[in-house]
Amino acid sequence: MTNTIQILSIEKTGKESSLQKEHNNKSIKIIDGYFFSRNLDDQKFTKISKLISNDVSQTILTKKNVNKVLSSYSNFNWVVEIKFLPGVTDNIATTVKEIINDNLKSSFKSFELGSTKIILIKGRKEDITKISKNEANPLIQTIKIYPFKQYLNNFKKNQFKIERVKLPKKKYSKKEINLDISDYNLSLIGKLGIEENDKSRRGTLGLDLESLKTIRNYFSTIKRKPTDVEIETLAQTWSEHCKHKIFSAKIDDIQEGIFKKYIKGATEKIIQLRKDNFCVSLFTDNAGGIEFNKEWIICHKVETHNTPSALDPFGGAITGIVGVNRDCLGFGKGAKPIANTYAYYLADPNKKYQLYRQKNKDPMLPANFIAKGIISGVRVGGNCSGIPTPQGNVYFDDRFAGKPLVFCGTVGIIPKKIKGKLSHKKKANPGDIILMAGGRVGKDGIHGATFSSEELDPNSPVSAVQIGDPITQKKMSDVIIRELRDENLYSSITDNGAGGLSSSIGEMAKESGGFIVNLEKVPLKYNGLYPWEIWVSESQERMTLAVPPANVKKVIKRFNARGVEATIIGKFIKKDKAIVKYNKTEILNLDMEFLHEGYPKLNLKTSFPKIKKEKKKIIKKSSLIDKLHKLLSSPNIVSKEFIATQYDHEVQATSIIKPLQGEGRVFGNATAIKPLFDDEKSIALSQAAYPQYAETNPYDMAGCSIDTAYKNLIVSGANSKKIAILDNFCWCSSDEPDRLYQLKEAAKACYDYAVAYQTPFISGKDSMFNDFKGFDKTGKSVKISIPPTLLISSIGVVDKISHLTKMTSDDGDILLVLGNTRNELQDSVYSKIIGYEKSKNPVVYSKDALRTYRNFEKANKLGIINSAIGIDLGGIGIAVTKMAIASKKGLTIDLKLKNKISVDQFLFSESQSRILVSIKKNKLANFKKVFKGSDYTIIGKCTGSDVVKFKDNKKIIRGKISDFAKSYKQNIKGL
Amino acid sequence: MNVLVLSGYGINCENETLHAFEVVGFKGKIVHINDLIQNPKQLNNYQVFAIPGGFSYGDDTGSGNAMAKKILTNLYDQLIDFSLKDKLIIGICNGCQILINLGLVPSLNKKDPEVAMIENKSGSYECRWVDVKVNNNKSPWLKNISILNLPVAHQEGQFMIPINLLKSIKANNLIGLQYINNHKKLAKGQFPFNPNGSKDDIAALTNQNGNVLAMMPHPERAFYHYHVPNWQNNTSKKFGDGYKIFMNAKKFFA
Repeated sequence: MTNTIQILSIEKTGKESSLQKEHNNKSIKIIDGYFFSRNLDDQKFTKISKLISNDVSQTILTKKNVNKVLSSYSNFNWVVEIKFLPGVTDNIATTVKEIINDNLKSSFKSFELGSTKIILIKGRKEDITKISKNEANPLIQTIKIYPFKQYLNNFKKNQFKIERVKLPKKKYSKKEINLDISDYNLSLIGKLGIEENDKSRRGTLGLDLESLKTIRNYFSTIKRKPTDVEIETLAQTWSEHCKHKIFSAKIDDIQEGIFKKYIKGATEKIIQLRKDNFCVSLFTDNAGGIEFNKEWIICHKVETHNTPSALDPFGGAITGIVGVNRDCLGFGKGAKPIANTYAYYLADPNKKYQLYRQKNKDPMLPANFIAKGIISGVRVGGNCSGIPTPQGNVYFDDRFAGKPLVFCGTVGIIPKKIKGKLSHKKKANPGDIILMAGGRVGKDGIHGATFSSEELDPNSPVSAVQIGDPITQKKMSDVIIRELRDENLYSSITDNGAGGLSSSIGEMAKESGGFIVNLEKVPLKYNGLYPWEIWVSESQERMTLAVPPANVKKVIKRFNARGVEATIIGKFIKKDKAIVKYNKTEILNLDMEFLHEGYPKLNLKTSFPKIKKEKKKIIKKSSLIDKLHKLLSSPNIVSKEFIATQYDHEVQATSIIKPLQGEGRVFGNATAIKPLFDDEKSIALSQAAYPQYAETNPYDMAGCSIDTAYKNLIVSGANSKKIAILDNFCWCSSDEPDRLYQLKEAAKACYDYAVAYQTPFISGKDSMFNDFKGFDKTGKSVKISIPPTLLISSIGVVDKISHLTKMTSDDGDILLVLGNTRNELQDSVYSKIIGYEKSKNPVVYSKDALRTYRNFEKANKLGIINSAIGIDLGGIGIAVTKMAIASKKGLTIDLKLKNKISVDQFLFSESQSRILVSIKKNKLANFKKVFKGSDYTIIGKCTGSDVVKFKDNKKIIRGKISDFAKSYKQNIKGL
Repeated sequence: MNVLVLSGYGINCENETLHAFEVVGFKGKIVHINDLIQNPKQLNNYQVFAIPGGFSYGDDTGSGNAMAKKILTNLYDQLIDFSLKDKLIIGICNGCQILINLGLVPSLNKKDPEVAMIENKSGSYECRWVDVKVNNNKSPWLKNISILNLPVAHQEGQFMIPINLLKSIKANNLIGLQYINNHKKLAKGQFPFNPNGSKDDIAALTNQNGNVLAMMPHPERAFYHYHVPNWQNNTSKKFGDGYKIFMNAKKFFA
């Protein structure tokens, strides 16, 4: 009899080698353990072991062989046992359970099991402690360290245990909350949460005093006390995360708020000017939709998952990516996700910041742990879901030490019409059944929406972490897209993300009027959840559907046949009422109008900030080639190939412009997919953000982001009339007037440049408090705010395959820079790495830029352009070396300088709106015709040798391409 | 000519795999594993059984294992039967891992499984293009092909084969594809030419009849010329190398 199955891989696994390398210790071995709640007799043990292991590559440990087998590897002396905390999603355990149930049918039933990672090590205890800290996250896992002898003993005495969620069995009685209390006590409810009977608090609601007073007034008018569920629901619905109160607030003299005036305002202005069908669905749905061709719509959405990723980088990132996939599934009647995008803004993984959330305790995770966790979270989420992840980037800056920014995006595709009806229109009708499909509900992610709207401080709740399960979502997604949608079996659909059911049902009910939900019907991961927890839980992988009663049976059957759970939990009604019951007791009854619009509107004031000037750094004297090497190997320019190769960008067989380009594999700044087999149109994707420019001039920073994201698509070959953009504002301290001033400036630039470029905003999201308040290692209190970051994601349609460009030049090509190079080195990579020069920040001159772009587009269609790269970080110098590395062909660059510009300014200035192109010699005359009256400079030619030559009047400087490639492909230290 | 393309539980390359078969002339259907378990007789309508790539069961308990166990429990006899007829079976990437875990390849001792798929030597997921040479061109899938340029995308692509078995695999000529370097010579385990450290640079195995092919690279992702990296330098051809594999299936029945 035993209650554990433990499996050892005979060969060294990748995880083992990386652990061994990282800790410089060859005596490390990892065992996959499964702890059962019931004993297995010998026959069951053998049968189950065989089901979950492979006899060629693995050994099953038994009481008899354990000693001998393990001693053949090393003289282990310590064991680190890592298990999930009770209640945390354990995907492996779920799979194992399914295999056992399928194979053993009823002969082995009603058991629980937990998957466990057991690390055996020979070493000193202090090293073991270090290893365990690196391998587990205490927020979601338990770590036990004990001597190897005890492990053997446990084995013999059957002492491996799984822990289950033991929630006290409480009988629920309706809880009413007294709000007729002092302002101080009222604000405590907002900050710390509702008080339980034992005086403990539930965790932050993120409601300010004014909101609580508004709630109090509402209930005094309807002459009763609010229930806990009502307050929780209002907190979710009114959260900054859901309502974007700052963007909709009156700010200075802008009555309608910056969203309406600048973001939506820009799009409305553009639609008014364009008069075409390009924009299909804007701002109202889970994602923004544009026309792809006559039959299809594509949608795009980009989300952030910053706070969860700071606490649990892997979990935060994986739920970020599968979460935004659901935004596509919830676009219109359900779009199929066809591409993922990512952008990470991280602290230097090679530095130890040593930050603590509380004085001398509760440390922030190390920067490299955060970076690695985020990168692998998106890998697992994207790869397991079968969605290609071609497009992304990473940027490093110390100011992200307190909070990493994790942007996850998804592109989806949906036919314009489904059974003759417009697919982007959906409406839950009164009488429709509310169906919850997908995963079950647990305590995970409670208060996610309210806390991601707040700063990260000691009271940040830990239960706000969710674990993603991409396979459950994939199963659910396949049913929706393939089996339900095209038969029009449901009338509306949306995803369960922030705020869980309270948000999804609350949003959908706007379409019908109101809703009645019976919370006891919701399937749970384990018993003992309070109704309010069920209502706001952010357990992942769930969609909410509005299904006409006649179709409900059919829909549930389809889900079940694919191993997906679907449950009726209520219905939509016509009356404008939000009603929630738990075992027939009414625990929520609110007017829909108050629920959605009742929150107090903010009235914000801004003030001009003190500009934080770039620190002067003396320029070290070094050669031009040396400088190029330094820039190429700097973290923000160096190749991100190691991410591109671990993210499957080929699945769905749509990749047409890949993340790594040219024979020399240069990480491109735009990629393209061809989503339909029968149409040669492609979708080009790019993105840009310039947090480094933000403090100097937020208006220009935003301009640069829009210009770069737009330019990259033009360079890739997209049709300029079919480009749309998305805004993701990640700000800091958005209650401070100077930060709000920066916000207003950036938003104003969004309007100006979007209108100038005629690129509508189709979707956006904001995250306003990316600040860390805590302590450094000496116990001194610190506040670290991210630099204001505006990520602009761009999506565009490329009409023909022949329009898609490449970045590799050929022998004899003439090299040109389109656009103007100015002395704009301020906040550049050059000024950070090499040294500060008195200079200006980059500014976008939209008229000039547009002239360049229109001419480029024309020339590209005429076949004049042979290759092209958008010039961005590191300027012309980096663009030409990248071109040489990609094509493995030498270039000669003539440094004929205009406008009193120095060599370094010419080569490294980050002036915007420039493109490096190469053209065949015989196309020069045609080129000149197209570009008449436009700024361009011939800067050299492609020689096909193995060096890049820089020539000025006096001398020639050479750098070998293979050396440049080496610098460019260096590993990022700490990763 | 009909092809059944399997789906469900995290398989995710079924659309592009079916498309490739359709373009060369097959009629086909994507069938969910649960529907096939419900009605295994439908296999009689098909000449080709394709298990596409994906992440069935999220690779939990080892890539391909859980799905293989589901097939073993519910469909094993029917699949063996299929493999013994004049029919074709292909497993691509996760499909390859499933076939290996089922023991349908190399199927020398009729004892399952004989080979294991283990993690890449690099320890990380590898999505990249590789060159492979055809070793066994008696398999209908690989006839008249010499070299293919195809993408791989996997975390567990290393074939682990006990020494004795490897000898018989070689003796029976069951190595389907092998990774080669930029000089068209065997990669000899060298990264990135051999992306996973597979012994003898093995990228695919067949059974003795050659009608069952388990391959790690993805032919369906190298189907059109524009799938191939840097295709802009060579736009004369319509198809990529993956096309040849599907054409071979067609020729087998033609």
